[in-house]
Order: sequence, then structure tokens, then C-alpha cells
Amino acid sequence: MANVTLTKVGKLYEGPNGSAVRAVEAVDLAIADGEFCVLVGPSGCGKSTTLRMIAGLEEISEGTLEIDGRRVNDLPAKDRDIAFVFQNYALYPHLTVAENIAFGLETRRAHRSALVAALSGAGAARREESAAIRARVAEVSRTLGLDPLLARYPRELSGGQRQRVAVGRAIARDPKVFLFDEPLSNLDARLRIETRTELRMLHRRLKATIVYVTHDQEEAMTLADRLVVMHRGRVQQNASAQECYERPANRFVAGFIGTPPMNLVDGSAANGVFTANGAALAVPASLGTRPCALGFRPDRVRIVARGAAGSIAATIAAVERLGDRTDIALDSAWGRLVARVDADAARDAREGDAAALAFDPAHAHFFEPGECGARIVQG
Amino acid sequence: MKRSPLANAILWFVLVMGTAAFVFPLWWMAVVSLETPDRAEAAITGSAGIALFPPSPQLANYADAVRETGSVPWWGFVDALANSVVVTVLVVLGTAVSSSAVGYALARLRFRGSRPMFLVMLGTMMLPGQVTMIPLFLLFRQFGWIDSILPLVVPAFFGNAFFIFMYRQFIAQIPESLVEAARVDGLGHVAIWWRIVLPLCRPVTAICAVFTFIGTWNDFLGPLIYLHSDESATLAVALNGFKNQYGGLEDVHLLMALSVLTMIPCIVLFIAAQKTFVEGLARGAVKG
Repeated sequence: MANVTLTKVGKLYEGPNGSAVRAVEAVDLAIADGEFCVLVGPSGCGKSTTLRMIAGLEEISEGTLEIDGRRVNDLPAKDRDIAFVFQNYALYPHLTVAENIAFGLETRRAHRSALVAALSGAGAARREESAAIRARVAEVSRTLGLDPLLARYPRELSGGQRQRVAVGRAIARDPKVFLFDEPLSNLDARLRIETRTELRMLHRRLKATIVYVTHDQEEAMTLADRLVVMHRGRVQQNASAQECYERPANRFVAGFIGTPPMNLVDGSAANGVFTANGAALAVPASLGTRPCALGFRPDRVRIVARGAAGSIAATIAAVERLGDRTDIALDSAWGRLVARVDADAARDAREGDAAALAFDPAHAHFFEPGECGARIVQG
Repeated sequence: MKRSPLANAILWFVLVMGTAAFVFPLWWMAVVSLETPDRAEAAITGSAGIALFPPSPQLANYADAVRETGSVPWWGFVDALANSVVVTVLVVLGTAVSSSAVGYALARLRFRGSRPMFLVMLGTMMLPGQVTMIPLFLLFRQFGWIDSILPLVVPAFFGNAFFIFMYRQFIAQIPESLVEAARVDGLGHVAIWWRIVLPLCRPVTAICAVFTFIGTWNDFLGPLIYLHSDESATLAVALNGFKNQYGGLEDVHLLMALSVLTMIPCIVLFIAAQKTFVEGLARGAVKG
């Protein structure tokens, strides 16, 4: 196992008519030994490119990549001692499950043919190697419950089984770093949640360094020791999942992490009052006078009677009942806002009803204006 | 969908007639190969009607044909057969190996000029063989390769434009992640081609092998141009020996018998390989 360090790593592609397109910009990342690091962001944010640069499947245009303190920028993929799990599994279709798992081990053993080994008297060593590979495949298949599938071909497996084999192929080699590129996105919802839990447990057992890419923020939050939120080729926040949720570093992270997403309203603060589109609400005076964006989580919103002090008048646009909770979409002067309330509290809510919403300003977040406006730390 | 009896009858009629039109020449070849010399000659010259079954099948014709092939009894046939097998096997191997390697390079490697090269290669398909026949002969004569199998075999190892095209199209459809997985597993391009791509190309390789086999096995012109001595003749050329230089037909029954024998490997191979043609081995590689 090993740590992975990215310093000012960037990726430039040659665009049309010779211009350079920057896919990844100045990524600084220090992933500790045994850490589960998840890169998350919308499609096109540069997360997969970053992962592929770590793997050696893409060239690194700028910056340095170190694995275990050694600069590996120019090392080919096969010499970086990493394992890569692909979104579409990429199992070799002409090989059985057992052969797929053994493949990486077979190619890595001393490059000599059986004939040469026999002639040079190294036959015994080779047989020993083969036995070791068989033992390793058996061990991996036991760990992942693949024993009944070993003789099958990938085309005879279900999606979940293929995914398992892909993971088996990765762990068989016992690499320094595991790289996962959206490995669950081809599974159905239920299987995805099951496999997520298994991956988490597998990580604990293997104590492996994992870099994992997903666009699903829920998957990211449940798996990550360290969450790296990316957007437009840049790292927006690099912290624990809880930290990203509770103290988003900027407006983009605030809107991306959490389901349903945080309510964000552009307006301005002056003398302890936040005003947007004519509707005003008391906020801490320490904000001063400035344009800013106000953010508050749906689960912090309360539905109150029209005209209550410190509330914003609204109309219920949609009611989504989830069993224990209910999501209510409200149209207000601040645009469409979402409240997540206890199911009991929303029992009588009807679409089209007049309502008002309120929340505790202590749970409000403030950001500089703009798509990636930084968090305003209130002193 | 269920067809009406009339539609069925029409369909059957068309299919049967079509099949008969294709099978008749082969059937007739087999019939003539079993006739007596007189009746065979009469059938060919048209002075007698066409018999659908030989009245007294002369199985001995086959033994005679094998014995009479070439200039040495019995061994002439063995010699021609061996020449045919050697040339055909080498040409099939050379074509499949070189075409798939070039197809892999054109599909997967990014290098300067790959596109113009691909287009030029496709362009060579437009060139009729007759155009290059004499220049090639002069070239191979310079090399001192005349009356050896080299002019027939060596070009196969430099690829065949049509099969390169087929391999390229097929390989381009193999998911990139398979190649990347192999790279992570420690393979270079040659190993990826040999251990991952080639096994996946089985349907293309089957087509390439069968077509090349039939084309080479039946090739008459190539061996006729380059192989001059009796010992180096292939079966297709040896067949021609049953016709004397004035086009006499006295041994036409033997010609037909040897023709039947020569055809057998092609038919067997075609039947054996046709399942692979339609097989899509890449299924199941990735989410399907």
C-alpha cells in the first residue's frame, strides 16, 4: 500500500485549430496510505481524467505525480503497480473468470516461456509460480464469493457478478493503489447500494489506498474518507464528507453535495437584513453590506403559517412523500425552494396551498456571488 | 409469422430452382468423373445427352486420376498436393497475421500519417491484378524467385488490403477499456494484439482464413506464372495436365475426378468454419 501525491497536476488537450483545452487544472492532492479518496463532480469536471493520469492511461501535462514518494509521471501504467476497475468492467471476453483474475499475475511473472524454463532448469521455479497464482486466485475468489463462477465466461455472468470479477482481478495483484472509475454506475439501484457497502467493508479488510471516481454524490459521501469535489477541472473542496456537507467551501459544493440540494438565493446583505427580490430576512449583522448568496439546507426549513414573523410567503408547488419524510417544493419571491420535513408535519400539505417557510439563521450559509463564490466566514 | 400455403409453395419453388442452378455444374462434374472415357468425351462435346446418373459408375477413374497426375505415377499427385498445402497454409497464416497486425495499428495506434496511409491502402484495392502482374514478375525475377513458392507466399505476409480493412473495422469496435485493462495488466502493444485482440477477432479471422484458403487453393494463374517445373506445380496447375496442349478431351473423366478430389478440402473447411462467421465473441466483454 502507498500514499499518492499530486502537485499542481494539469491536463491539456489539443483542441480544434491547435488551441489548447484545459481539462484539469492545478490539482493538489495528498492521499494517505490506506485512505479511501473519492473524486466527485458533474460529468466533464475532470475527475476521470485525473484518475486516468494517476493510472498512467493519460499523460500528465503539468505538475508531478508521486506514488510512495517516487515521481511516476513518465512511468508506463504497467510499472506503477496500480489496479484499475473500469466502469464497463473490461473483462477479457475470451477468458474464464479464473483466467481473468489470474491474467495480471501471469503477465507479471518472469517473462520466460515454459520451454526456456525447462531447458534452463528453471522448470521447478515456474511450476511453483503457477501454483502460487492458482492459490492466489482461489483466495481472491473465496473473498468475493466467486467460487461457483470460476469456470464461466464473462458473457455468462450478470452485471453484478461481472463487477465482482472486475474487483477480483484488481485485488489479485495486491497493487499499491486501487483506482475505480464509476464502477457501480452500470448496476441497478438496489445492487448499487449493496455493492457500495461491500466495497466499504473490502476497503477496511484490505487497508488499501483507493481513489474512486463517481458522479453520484450520495455514493461519494457514503464511501469517502476524503471527499474531493471537482468542477471545471479544479478541486473545489478537499475534506471529509461531513465537512463538505456542513461547511461547503463554496457555492458550487453547497449546491452539489446533499440531496435534495441546498436552497441558494442570490441577493444582498445590509445592516443585518438579507434582501432578494423584495423579500427580506434577518441575518447576522457581521455579514456587513455586500452582495452575496444565501444558502440553507432543505431539512432546516420549517413550514409555518402565512404572515408569521421572519417567514417568507410561498405556494406549495409539489409534494413528494418518501415515507418517513416529505419533500415540499415551494414557489416564493426567492424562486423555487425545497423543504424536507417530517412526514407527520406535512400530512395536510396540498399542492396549491398557501404557506410560508422559515429557518434558523444560525444554519444559513453565505457565499460570494458567482458560480463558485467562496464561503463567507462570519467573524 | 405464418405464411399462406401458396406463398410457401412459391418460396420453395424459387429456392429449389436456385439451388439446382448452383448445384447442377458440381453434380455434373461428379457424374462425368464416373463415366467411361467415351461417354465422358461425348458428354463434354455435346454429342450425347446429359445423363443425371452414370449408367455404370467407374470408381476406378479416381485411382487412375491420382496415378496419372504429374509425370511420376502416384507421387506426382502427392507432390502437387504437398505443394498446394504448403503454399495455402503459408498464405493463410501470413495473411491473417499481417492483416490483423496492420488492422490493429490502424485502429488503435495514433501516429502521424495513419489516415493517408489507410486511404492509400484502400486505394490499392481498386487496382486490378493484371496491372501489377508484369511488374511483379519482373521484380521477382530480379530476386531470383522464379520457380519457387516465394512469389506466391511472401506477398501474403505484407497484408491484404481488404482483410486489413475488415480487421480495422472490427478492432475499432472493441472497447478501448479492454486495451487499457491489458496495458494496466502489463502488456505492450504486441502482446495486446496477440493475447487480447486476435482472440476477439475470431469471426474476422474465420472469414479471412476461409476466403484466403479457397482463393489460394484454387489459384491457377499465380502458380502458372511462377512455378514452371512439374515438381513445383500445385494441384490447380496439375489438373491442367489432363488437357493436352491442343485442348484434347480424351482424359476429361480423369480431369473431373481430380477436380472433385481437389474441391473436398474447400467444402469441408467452409462447413467447419461457417458457425464462427456469425459468432459475436465480444458479447459479454463489457456491460451488454
